[in-house]
Amino acid sequence: MARTSVRFESESIAELMTQAYEHAYEQGWTDGLPIIPATPEAVQRFIGATGRPAEEVIGIIPPRQGQASVEVLAVNAVMAGCRPEYMPVLIAALEGLTDKGFPLEFIQVTTNPMTPFLLLNGPIRQQLDINSGTGCLGPGWRANATIGRAIRLILQNVGGALPGIYSKASFASPLRYSYICGENEEENPWSPFHVDRGFDPHDSTVTVFKASNYCNISGGEGVGPDEILRQIASNMPPMYGGGDGALLLLGVNHAQSLHEAGLTKRDLQEKLWALARLPEDHFAADFAAMEHTAGRGADGMLWRTEGPERIHIVVAGGPGPQDVYMAAGLPQTRLIRG
Amino acid sequence: MITTNTFTNFARRLAATKGCPYVVIAETPNPIRQLEQVPLRQRAEAMLDTIIFGLTQSPTAIQRSIEKVAATQIHPQGVVRAAMPV
Repeated sequence: MARTSVRFESESIAELMTQAYEHAYEQGWTDGLPIIPATPEAVQRFIGATGRPAEEVIGIIPPRQGQASVEVLAVNAVMAGCRPEYMPVLIAALEGLTDKGFPLEFIQVTTNPMTPFLLLNGPIRQQLDINSGTGCLGPGWRANATIGRAIRLILQNVGGALPGIYSKASFASPLRYSYICGENEEENPWSPFHVDRGFDPHDSTVTVFKASNYCNISGGEGVGPDEILRQIASNMPPMYGGGDGALLLLGVNHAQSLHEAGLTKRDLQEKLWALARLPEDHFAADFAAMEHTAGRGADGMLWRTEGPERIHIVVAGGPGPQDVYMAAGLPQTRLIRG
Repeated sequence: MITTNTFTNFARRLAATKGCPYVVIAETPNPIRQLEQVPLRQRAEAMLDTIIFGLTQSPTAIQRSIEKVAATQIHPQGVVRAAMPV
């Protein structure tokens, strides 16, 4: 593997940091924001935190088929502002992203703004201070901000998804800066997401989804379960490019209300699937035909997903009548080791 | 490969990631989705010579004729981000 090094000189640390940022920006190595220079000492610390050899290749990243070795991940993690202890999360996430069943190449080059969304489960959330509660999808938490950012830098620098050159996303999305949160397992009245996928409650996992959007759903305070679900479903219409599934981050208040009404997660999936449908003449004829071909409609109606099992339910966020809906699917869950 | 001209460079770029930098590309002006049958057929016929070239020439001859253009299309020198197609 070719290595290059760059040397900057200045009597001022601030000036050194500025020079490093300017150089990295000119080379196309950043997301536009300043980076932490990946010095050899910092990279070694990050590699050391994994317990793995530097040259171990975790995955190959399309479209330019870059080799995501432990060392390469470490370089991008340093640049993103991560702590060394975040490396096992990045490694597990890369394992999921480079799984043959995950459409990473499509995500990297499409005109659609789709991007990976990362969901963290298990004790790792407390160990790394990954926010699962109030403000979990917004700024303020270093782990949330920098792990998600490192993923973007890796996809760009290792996979070559340079905006406008290999990545043809017409608008891209602010979600591409960092899109990650933990599940609020402590306020989840049902089983956590990773347990539903066969993991032990004490396992720490990361799940990567192919995600196309973010939609906050407000409302449904002080009303019964049917109204809550109807409000949620009305914000989940059939949509182009969203056919792989839907992910609902259910707010803690609504989760509690629905649980107290005796509903299980399976009940929520089935009820939402039955509600989140619209008459096909509401849509362009081409789109309606495409959805029918994909098995997402019948009898003059278009459905949000082929079946209830494609609606994934997670509990997250803080108090308030809010939920988040994402057009997201094809989850890949990996154990976080180390 | 057949593309509209908006996507020619991108098509060669992606083909190069698959090990095919010298794929012959027959292009036509973008857009085409609004075209009726007659003008669409005219567009297709205009591309026939290129398609025949790609199907009948040896890989060596094809590479020789495309090499220089391909290099500039695959990754424009010094360009790391682009708001307009490159």
